[in-house]
Amino acid sequence: MTLSVALGPDTQESTQTGTVTSTDALTAPDIPWNLVIWNDPVNLMSYVSYVFQSYFGYSEPKANKLMMEVHKKGRSIVAHGSKEQVEQHAVAMHGFGLWATVEKATGGGKEGGTGKGKGKRG
Amino acid sequence: MAKAFKYGLKGITGYLEPAERELLRSLIDDVISMLQPAESASEDPLTALIGLDMNVQEPSDRALRRLLPNVMKNDDAASLEFRQLTERSLRENKIGALRAAALSLDTNDVVLSPADARHWSQALNDVRLVLAERLDIRDDADAEHVHTMQDWSQAEDVESYLALVYNFTTWLQESLVQAMLQSMESRG
Repeated sequence: MTLSVALGPDTQESTQTGTVTSTDALTAPDIPWNLVIWNDPVNLMSYVSYVFQSYFGYSEPKANKLMMEVHKKGRSIVAHGSKEQVEQHAVAMHGFGLWATVEKATGGGKEGGTGKGKGKRG
Repeated sequence: MAKAFKYGLKGITGYLEPAERELLRSLIDDVISMLQPAESASEDPLTALIGLDMNVQEPSDRALRRLLPNVMKNDDAASLEFRQLTERSLRENKIGALRAAALSLDTNDVVLSPADARHWSQALNDVRLVLAERLDIRDDADAEHVHTMQDWSQAEDVESYLALVYNFTTWLQESLVQAMLQSMESRG
């Protein structure tokens, strides 16, 4: 991603408030797939955060945290769900111009401790 | 000179000179023509109706591949199958946003509803993705190198001209997204 002009301090890495969800309690059909967003040098950090907020309904701190994870680690799991759900998210992300793929969750998809990609938070 | 987008009482507003509007219009038209499916006249009516297109292949053009990426990283067969089901409607969705953005380029003063703003941000993003492929921007260092081109007197060849155009669209999109984020905040 690229950091452009006019970015305020609120796009710095936000506080580490991600909750560790107990994925062990969830059965396999509930969360077998992940939606992954990949870093690229073109998409603006502000735009990626805007997409996470407006499409998934994530709070600004959560959206910024995921965005920074994409930027620094090269990728981030931003939602979980059934194969059909994450595929639908992937098409929506492609519509926004984000580079998204889906993958089968391994080890409970604990990367980033992210949400389930549905419902509003905050 | 264009003025940055801002959020205020009238919604999201911006200002573009005629030459800038003309530039954006031609960039948008280029991306629309890239996205238009090759054969649309002589096709199977069922294909058109349900959007399923068995003739779809992964695009050979890098820029187009970036606009319409594979849905799986290491499974080309599954990605192709998914592409056959979804690519047509993704192309149409993108073309729709690009056309909507072009429609609000008729006057110097640009006033955007929330839906217009979303279409604009999508359209500008797709334009930038295509320009970035043409400029060979592969990593953050490439992006920074391009970013140093800020003065139109530096436009000596096609590449430097493209870099300046890219930086203009980047600046415009950044100001638009900041205004959209402000508008989201104030709407709660």
